[in-house]
Amino acid sequence: MLAYLFRRLFAAAVMLVVIIMVVFGIFFLVPKWAGVDIASSFVGKQADPAAVEAVRQKLGLSDPIYSQVWEFFKGIFAGRTYAGGGDVTHCAAPCFGYSFRSEQAIWPVLTDRFPVTLALALGAAVLWLVLGMAAGVLSALKRGSFWDRGAMVVALAGVSLPVYFTGMASLAVFAFGLDWLDARYVPLTDSFTGWFGGLILPWITLAFLYAAMYARITRATMLEILGEDYIRTARAKGLREQTVIGKHAMRSTMTPILTMLGMDLGALIGGAILTETTFNLPGLGQAVLNAIKNQDLPVILGVTLITSLAVLIANLVVDVLYAVIDPRVRLA
Amino acid sequence: MTAPLHEPTAEAAPSAAEEAAVAGAESKSVQGRSLGRIAWERLKRDKLALTGAVVVLLLVAVALLAPVITSLLGQDPNEYHEDLIDPLFGTPVGSLGGISGDHLLGVEPVNGRDILARILYGARISLLVGFLSAVVAVIFGTVFGVLAGFFGGWVDSLISRVMDGLLAFPQLLFIIALVSVMPNDMLGLHGTGVRVFVMILVIGFFGWPYIGRVVRGQTLSMREREYVEAARSLGAGRFYILFKELLPNLVAPIIVYTTMMIPTNILTEAALSFLGVGVKPPTASWGQMLSSAIEYYESDPMYMVVPGVAIFITVLAFNLFGDGVRDALDPKGSR
Amino acid sequence: MTTQRTSGRRKRAAAAAAVVAALLTTAACGGGDSDDGGSKNGAAGFDAANNKVAQASLAKKGGTLKFGGAQDADSWDTTRGYYGFMWNFSRYYSRQLVTNKTEAGAAGAGVTPDLATSTAEVSEDGKTYTYKLRDGITWEDGKPITSQDVKYGIERVWAQDVLSGGPTYLKEVLDPKDEYPGPYKDKSKDKLGLKAIETPDEKTIVFKLPKANSDFEEMLALTSASPVRQDKDTKSKYGLHPFSSGPYKFESYTPGKDLTLVRNTEWKQASDPVRKAYPDKITVEFFSDANQLDQRLLNGDIDLDINQTGMSPQGRTTALKQHKANLDNPVSGYIRYAVFPQSVKPFDKLECRKAVILGADHVSLQTARGGPVAGGDIGTNMLPPSVPGAEGQQYDPYKLAGDNKKGNVEEAKAALKACGQPNGFKTTIAVRNNKPVEVATAQSLQASLKKVGITAEIDQYDGSQTAGIIGSPENVKKKNYGIIIMGWGPDFPSVQGYGLPLWSSDYILESGNNNYALIKDKEIDGLFDEYVDTLDDAGKAKIATEINHKVMEGAYYLPFVFEKFVNWRSSRLANVYTTDGYSGMYDFVNLGLKSAK
Repeated sequence: MLAYLFRRLFAAAVMLVVIIMVVFGIFFLVPKWAGVDIASSFVGKQADPAAVEAVRQKLGLSDPIYSQVWEFFKGIFAGRTYAGGGDVTHCAAPCFGYSFRSEQAIWPVLTDRFPVTLALALGAAVLWLVLGMAAGVLSALKRGSFWDRGAMVVALAGVSLPVYFTGMASLAVFAFGLDWLDARYVPLTDSFTGWFGGLILPWITLAFLYAAMYARITRATMLEILGEDYIRTARAKGLREQTVIGKHAMRSTMTPILTMLGMDLGALIGGAILTETTFNLPGLGQAVLNAIKNQDLPVILGVTLITSLAVLIANLVVDVLYAVIDPRVRLA
Repeated sequence: MTAPLHEPTAEAAPSAAEEAAVAGAESKSVQGRSLGRIAWERLKRDKLALTGAVVVLLLVAVALLAPVITSLLGQDPNEYHEDLIDPLFGTPVGSLGGISGDHLLGVEPVNGRDILARILYGARISLLVGFLSAVVAVIFGTVFGVLAGFFGGWVDSLISRVMDGLLAFPQLLFIIALVSVMPNDMLGLHGTGVRVFVMILVIGFFGWPYIGRVVRGQTLSMREREYVEAARSLGAGRFYILFKELLPNLVAPIIVYTTMMIPTNILTEAALSFLGVGVKPPTASWGQMLSSAIEYYESDPMYMVVPGVAIFITVLAFNLFGDGVRDALDPKGSR
Repeated sequence: MTTQRTSGRRKRAAAAAAVVAALLTTAACGGGDSDDGGSKNGAAGFDAANNKVAQASLAKKGGTLKFGGAQDADSWDTTRGYYGFMWNFSRYYSRQLVTNKTEAGAAGAGVTPDLATSTAEVSEDGKTYTYKLRDGITWEDGKPITSQDVKYGIERVWAQDVLSGGPTYLKEVLDPKDEYPGPYKDKSKDKLGLKAIETPDEKTIVFKLPKANSDFEEMLALTSASPVRQDKDTKSKYGLHPFSSGPYKFESYTPGKDLTLVRNTEWKQASDPVRKAYPDKITVEFFSDANQLDQRLLNGDIDLDINQTGMSPQGRTTALKQHKANLDNPVSGYIRYAVFPQSVKPFDKLECRKAVILGADHVSLQTARGGPVAGGDIGTNMLPPSVPGAEGQQYDPYKLAGDNKKGNVEEAKAALKACGQPNGFKTTIAVRNNKPVEVATAQSLQASLKKVGITAEIDQYDGSQTAGIIGSPENVKKKNYGIIIMGWGPDFPSVQGYGLPLWSSDYILESGNNNYALIKDKEIDGLFDEYVDTLDDAGKAKIATEINHKVMEGAYYLPFVFEKFVNWRSSRLANVYTTDGYSGMYDFVNLGLKSAK
């Protein structure tokens, strides 16, 4: 088990390096193919060639990619020093560099924004797991009934509407129309009720999107498992139906659900962009979207690294949980 | 957690019975029905699934016949009708987004293009991207998922790590960067054609780990099950087991996933069109319509409702059909 | 397949126009019981603050003025900011020798003394400008602002390698040969090595121009001429917390999230003839979604939009229908247009360019921009109405707002024939992907050009890379961008502050180019040279008019609209007015609240 964990962690580290290199590649090579000079987008309306060249030097855009990647990783572990045009700054480890646009240090931005995204992702995940699995189990047990079909239609409405639509609509109704909520992000350290009130709509909106998939997977798996013999055996042994479903059937249903959860938490942290944008939540998604809009590489790199790390860890946790829940799975 | 309640002997028995049933069918026993035939019989009885299938077929037909239908209606998806637009607000004149005898579903804000014509043409792009990218994802996902789950060892490790990487990868960034540098002419395609081709490949490529992981998980847990062990102990070859035992059991999750991926893909296409890297204007797609309707969700809600309903119907139809197929293929679905 | 119902169409268009007119004229019935329009506690009325001061007498000292925005400034560093709203807002925390007048409308574009006791004492030849500093002017730590601080602040413009992004007019005028390396590479001990500026004592500053420039004082009124104190200069990080010389100072700032200014207790009202400093506190909240910002404006959480670029369609419609008295409809000073690079065939030929101008449906383009109210009047030439010498719609060489406003297919086809493309041609329209309104105009242009036989494909490029994509003439040619959709507003209201980078052959650059049409016209270049030597206002205006005519005769541009915005002001605001000094925005620095709460 320990050896397994160690191997996985090593693989994750390799993966992160690869991902960062690909992001670098996209940022530097793609504009090169397209014949675009990134530096010129940092000099304002009056760009004289000398200024463009100076900016290119300062941002390190003219260094070869490998040395930039090396400097980036070195900065994280050992810190690095920026010097250009008589402006010298030392950036202590963990150094993720400075934003090309706002010049602020990236690391505080990441630590400041990560909790927001984490709270959004975890809260929504709990909500959709509970709702989705409950709906799925009910549908499976009352297969073909009005409830089964009704639950599915509601679930499908969720999956077929984009987050920016449901988010906007819920804001318009609950926050601006009925005025029930302030719908404004408040840090947990300031006020719990404010924090909860600000996140409840984003949670529901996101959960609405994912609950549908979980309901469908739960239903499909449940139906399959209910046909399995050990369930019949359990029933035959005279176990109460609640125990059969709640304990035995649910346990096996967890395998595919966990698979999905591991993937979605990652995709969610990375893809919280739309939700955070719609609800103006100061999370990582919002930061990276702005960074993409602004060609702000250090921010893109920092957020990519953090979110990728989160996803890889989530996947690792899921794989370990697999073994815990379904002993037939060997960890090798 | 407590130990699992699960008794090998009891489980092995029906599996054997099932084997026998299949074997019996093959040896033209009394019933003489193949698995596919049984499934078809079951599907025929499932009214909802059939409705779903009919709607899917209708949608495909409508998409194919879009030019014919629009010319019969006397409309063109790209023609401006600015006389139907209120110049102060930019929204259509008249109620319900400018619905009239000429424009059955109203007109777009600002430029007054006929929404029905655009929905019909948009169906082509949306269905094509949604469906084909799902196909790409299913092919990749099934092949690699089964390989990983079945062979285990370094094959599994390698494939799993690649999947982890792809899932952890900031896809949106990659797609935006990639699409924005694609040449305008490629492989005999031009403009929107190139965009559609790239979208199918990219959405499909980033979608396969989702299927892959589920397939791998299922294969992994099935591989250890008794009927596979039994087949193996009977001396069946590895590939025989793969095809004979695993694939039929994987059909259900794959179908469920595919029917769920299609709407997701349609929405991804929407997001890409919204970001300006999807189809090129004036080409219509549902995603592009839905995205541009966001700006008018209160002042001209019909503009949003129409593509929204179109996507919803499509999603529902695919899912109903998918459920039906799943139930029909379920060997234990005796009820 | 196309259904032409011209008569019906005209009737409906006329009816719609009547509705607009009615809405605009009935606008002012918001209240009318107070001295300057509007009720005491309510909104001042539609257009009540457009080019005039609304509810000046209701402004009280104190309270928190709340800004919201969909976009943060490019930088709050006075040297680096280039966004118009940043220049406007920076007056809260920075002062200059001279600044724009705090008056409504056209008068606001004039220059008035700020740190200086009077406007410049200019030598006969127009090459020496002398200012004396006022008494009692202080930094936020109470130390006096000296002429050396002003010089150092201006010198920072030279450090483009560290402080990129801002306007560089001062650098080009004071040091055209680019000899001074900037303060960070300055070898002299006090880092004040720039020869063109002299500081004989702490209260006197003298500018020595190598060559006269009649707009020099306008350039000194830009934010980039603000003083910066050497010991407080954090270089590239200065924008995160600028050191205040104005009535407010930075309390906290998180880029893209929020900004809070509080009173600078060291600032003295007596030392500042310009700023009234009504509120106690100023907050800015940034939103990632413009619709949410508009909702916050509508429900009163926020007083005004710091970006001042007009409400988005959704909020605008609601506001126009339900809260008209809270809106103003100013002319922004921007012109939205399409420009034709001469390097892309067949736009090298005058008649081909004319074909596009004549064939376009200008009403349709105007509707795509948002219609007559939210978009603006149909643009007929290339000089914004706020620039001296502009003639507005009266100068309309191609009858764009007249007979040809729906497009003139025959004349366009005739022009095509004249340029040797009788069957039309194919080209590409380049448009930024992050501006939905621009994409809409591109589609409108595409649709109307199709009728004349010109097939245009739309290419949406990454808006953040504008300077690298359409700013590179080589790339424009390679991508066959025959039509580029853009907009431009004056940095300061003069033909030089608007048109020099667009039309002068000196400004054709390999990257970051703004002379997209690649205009190399000796007459235009000559007129600009003449302009900088002309010191009287009437003469300057006349040259501006001439330059505009030359540009239009060359048919390099297809103007869409003289842009107008629909801007929101909350009912809490008092002493509100728009100013041409900041392109039709509200003058932020003197906004007040009706109640200190």
